[in-house]
Amino acid sequence: MRWLGRLFDNTVYITGVTVSLAVLVMFYYIAHESSYAFRQTFSWGYRLALLPADADLSTTPNSALYSSLVAVNAEGADGLDEREETLPAPTIEQMQSEAAFLATATTLVSEVSQIREDQLYRDDWREPKPAEREERILVLGYASPGYVHSTMYLAWEPDHSFAPRLAPYRLVLRLVRPPQGVSVEPFEIDLKRQASGRVALPAWAARSDAERTQGYVFEVAAIPQTSTFWATVRGVLSAEWAPTLIYPRYGIFPLLLATTLMSLLAMLIATPLGVATALYLSEVASPRVREWLKPALELIASVPSVVLGYFGLMFVAPALQNWLGQSLGIQSGRNLLTTSIILAVLAIPIVASVTEDVLKAVPESLRESALALGLSQSETLWEVVLPAARAGVVAAILIGAARVYGETMIVWILSGGTATMPAFHSPVAFAQSLVSSTRGIPDTIAIEMGNVTFESVHYGHLFLLGLVLFCVTVIANLAALRVGRRQVWRV
Amino acid sequence: MVEPLNALRAEQVAVETRALNVFYGDTQALKNVSLPVARHRVTALIGPSGCGKSTFLRCLNRLNDRIPGFRMEGKVRVLEMDPYSKHTDLIELRRRVGMVFQKPTPLPMSIYDNVAIGARSHYGLRGKLLDEVVEQALQRAALWDEVKDILKRPALQLSGGQQQRLCIARMLAVDPEVILMDEPCSALDPVSTFRIEELMIDLAKDHTVIVVTHNMQQAARVSHYTAFFMYGELVEYDASKQLFLSPQQKATEDYISGRFG
Repeated sequence: MRWLGRLFDNTVYITGVTVSLAVLVMFYYIAHESSYAFRQTFSWGYRLALLPADADLSTTPNSALYSSLVAVNAEGADGLDEREETLPAPTIEQMQSEAAFLATATTLVSEVSQIREDQLYRDDWREPKPAEREERILVLGYASPGYVHSTMYLAWEPDHSFAPRLAPYRLVLRLVRPPQGVSVEPFEIDLKRQASGRVALPAWAARSDAERTQGYVFEVAAIPQTSTFWATVRGVLSAEWAPTLIYPRYGIFPLLLATTLMSLLAMLIATPLGVATALYLSEVASPRVREWLKPALELIASVPSVVLGYFGLMFVAPALQNWLGQSLGIQSGRNLLTTSIILAVLAIPIVASVTEDVLKAVPESLRESALALGLSQSETLWEVVLPAARAGVVAAILIGAARVYGETMIVWILSGGTATMPAFHSPVAFAQSLVSSTRGIPDTIAIEMGNVTFESVHYGHLFLLGLVLFCVTVIANLAALRVGRRQVWRV
Repeated sequence: MVEPLNALRAEQVAVETRALNVFYGDTQALKNVSLPVARHRVTALIGPSGCGKSTFLRCLNRLNDRIPGFRMEGKVRVLEMDPYSKHTDLIELRRRVGMVFQKPTPLPMSIYDNVAIGARSHYGLRGKLLDEVVEQALQRAALWDEVKDILKRPALQLSGGQQQRLCIARMLAVDPEVILMDEPCSALDPVSTFRIEELMIDLAKDHTVIVVTHNMQQAARVSHYTAFFMYGELVEYDASKQLFLSPQQKATEDYISGRFG
């Protein structure tokens, strides 16, 4: 039984080591899972088509272009193949009856890609292709038999949502081979420099299905310009969070700025009120008032945040919209300002309670010295007690801020849920973004984590968000600890 | 030259209590204390711990108010003021009655600001005038030479003895008339103690000094008058020479000869 006694003796150490290990494991897990974000393969798309003179690519719907939509995908021509499977190319007869329109057929020819093809269908996102080799896609172009003009155009433009600058690949479009009997000089277009445009080509119409394979042959080459890691980093640092698009965007800034803004605003409200409450409690209030006010304050601090969120939804949001909606053009009561107000309600008791403890720790002898000098109550407060407690008050604010920064439920209920960048270009626009719908980091994780494919790129990005949140709150708490340690005022 | 107590004329009495009773809740800390204090003299209060010396001191500037359960009866007069009258300006009272505490209590600010804060608050002094007041106070407290180059440093960086002299300078900067000292040397080394004792004698030229001390030698060295307290009562009060050489009460004799306490 002696070992049992020793075990009890060592319980403190065992607990400490276990907890430390658990924290380490948790941190490792979050960091590891977010690595799926960094290994992400970018899908960047171009619309590419042979068009008649009067057509405009940007206004031509995809259905009219038919199979001319080319997805240039870093993973090979993954999307392209699927599209060919689901959309069989039309026959010449079909095209004759339709219109004098030009279409492009696309085929995967590149040797490199073919080698990788078996890997493509393993859906192996865990081992994305490193951006080190050139990848090629061949595009065969031909006119429909009804085409009567002597010229046609090759037109291209980036897909709806991507900045070519951010892609891990630089895409180059080349004319590799003109059809037989047509003479055109080969050309090359760097799509990074020239993101959209058109080139005139001599018209060439296919008369049979067999002839389609002899049309213009273009080549889209994807040349690595950066590693997928840095492409991910740059993608993360961009200004749009839209993970559900075909070409998803994982810009973290709208969420980060929203969370930061609402926390700042909440702390701007909570700091003066919280510190004032603490000053009242510790310096002014009679012992009887303090006796019930302090526990009441701590009771509020323990109210579940979902209740506070509900309170905000029932009272603050409608009030804000009814009183200010007309004059300020607020579309919904669920916005950044409402969220900040309720977050402040969450933070005030925390700030007040901790600050009160800190003020209580200021030795009575300091107050007596100041009073004995003939300083008034308020001079004693502002010039002696608060400066003595300054470090602790800062720590209290930081603790409150860390709590607010990571708050999920209130933000989920009240923020409105649209991930948009706050506008900074003018004061009016900024004020407007303060009263418009927004979305923070914690609630984004909570909302999307349930719907995301396990260990997908989106999943990795959610963990990345968690990592950011983790770091910010840990830094705030560490700062509070550091600052708070200086609090001890030896006299 | 020390007048015997009963020869003190009314205008020579700066501070006086009559039948002063003080209670903290149910405990009585002072019992019927009547004690006139001579102007521009050092008066020492001695007695065992918990006998009410500090309580007496704190009645004179009303620092007792903050203690829960505090209650007093009787009469107190400090200079021309009644501290416990409703019409008394507490801030004016505390300006005229300075206090030095047992432990040095530098305020959380620079050395300069520690001395300047009172003068700034009471007289609204700024700039050059304030600098002069600070320098004078520090010189009077015999600290100027040590700190004149480090005025902007936090006061906490000073040594214990320097801190206590800083507290004295801080008090002098508001130009008080009565100085209360609550065991000002008990936390200090002999050298610092010696300097502060010298200071007390010097201050008594133009201030009324009341000092609580546990050190009988100190009381004998620096004070003109000594009051002996026990269990909240004023046992004996006389010119120091008289009291230490030929105490009238048995308890006093026992205490100063070290038989108890």
